[in-house]
Formats: sequence, structure tokens, C-alpha cells
Amino acid sequence: MSLHARVGIVLVSHSAALAEGAAELAGQISGGTVAIIPAGGTDDGHLGTSAAKVQQAVKLADSGAGVLILPDLGSAVLTVRALLTDTGDLPGPIEIADAPFVEGVVAATVAAASGGDITAVLAAAEEARHARKL
Amino acid sequence: MPASCERAITLTGDLHARPAGALSVTAAKFSSAVALTVGSSRADAKSVLGVMGLGATSGQRVTVTADGPDAEAAVAAIIAILAAATRVGA
Repeated sequence: MSLHARVGIVLVSHSAALAEGAAELAGQISGGTVAIIPAGGTDDGHLGTSAAKVQQAVKLADSGAGVLILPDLGSAVLTVRALLTDTGDLPGPIEIADAPFVEGVVAATVAAASGGDITAVLAAAEEARHARKL
Repeated sequence: MPASCERAITLTGDLHARPAGALSVTAAKFSSAVALTVGSSRADAKSVLGVMGLGATSGQRVTVTADGPDAEAAVAAIIAILAAATRVGA
């Protein structure tokens, strides 16, 4: 891992707009130093998930420190898991976060911007389950 | 021996998401434990969701506490962010 490599983030959503919006928000909050790649919608632009989009996003997000994938809903996990099982040429390490989508990507991206490794970034995302808004 | 440092600042604007992010990224660069206290609420400064969850608003007094070898520098950096970021209500 190079000195400045940051963990990359991939947002897998059934909605392209949701993935892009969450990526924009997390990028603004974390200062724009982390690769946050949205992978939303199907290949033909409908609601759903696309293994090809996720695979491309993971490659774009990786800069040597690994990639954290955040799915929006449980069924997006199926797409991600199938991809990670079937494809051997993806860069590593890759982790899937069991976390709320918006809070998870914000916490993960801030952790990545701080130079956290894949373990720390995954932990930050999953701790977001316990964050209170009120 | 670990040092301890504490300073307070009165916010001149609300603590919004972007400054909260900048604050947490900065806090994480220090090895000291850094905490923010607003009234009876306390948050780990390295947790962006915790900082946002404080709901700190203009006019409130925020106390920054750090414990560790770089406590003084950590508190100074966080106070500077709170002073600059809440001025424009970013």
C-alpha cells in the first residue's frame, strides 16, 4: 500500500440517483479525498442492481488500500456476493458493510479520508448502525 | 506521561455536516482521544456521526477535551475548525 493510498468506497443501490446522491454527499462531508464510486441501477437504466456496474466500480475505487462495498438493501448483497464469489481478478481486500446506507457511507468515507485501513473503514461503517440522529 | 487538555468555544453558527466531517478527519490524525461536550451530550470527535448527532447550534458552548501525547495540538486544531467552520454556517 502506498503512503497516500486510501480505501475506496463503492455504493451499490437499486437506484442510480440514490447511489450518485449518497456519493456526492459523502464526498462533500469528507473533503473529496476518497474515491466514492456509485454503482446504481441496472445496465439498461432501470431500478435494480448490475454485477457489471459493481465490478467496474470496484476497479475504479481501488487505489491499493482495498475497497468497501455498501449495499442499500439486502437484495443488493446478492449481486455483490455473486460477483465476489465468481470473479478472481478483482483487486483486494474487498469487504461488504452491514450498515445503513447514508450514515454508513458518511462514516466510512471520513474514516478513509483519515487514512484508516480497510478494517477501520469497515468498522466505522458498521458502527453507524448505532448512531442516533436525535 | 499522557497529557490532558481542555478548551471551550462558543459557536457563532450551527455545526453542519461539512465542518463535522472536517473536524472528524482532523481529530483522527491525532493519537490522543478527543471528545466534544455540548451541555449534557458528549461525542467522540473522531466519529463524524457522533459529532453531527450533537446537534450543536449557534450560541452553544462546546468544550473540546483531549487526552494523550498530542492533546494540546489536537484541541488547538479542533477549536480552530469550530471557529472557522461555524462562522460561515457551512
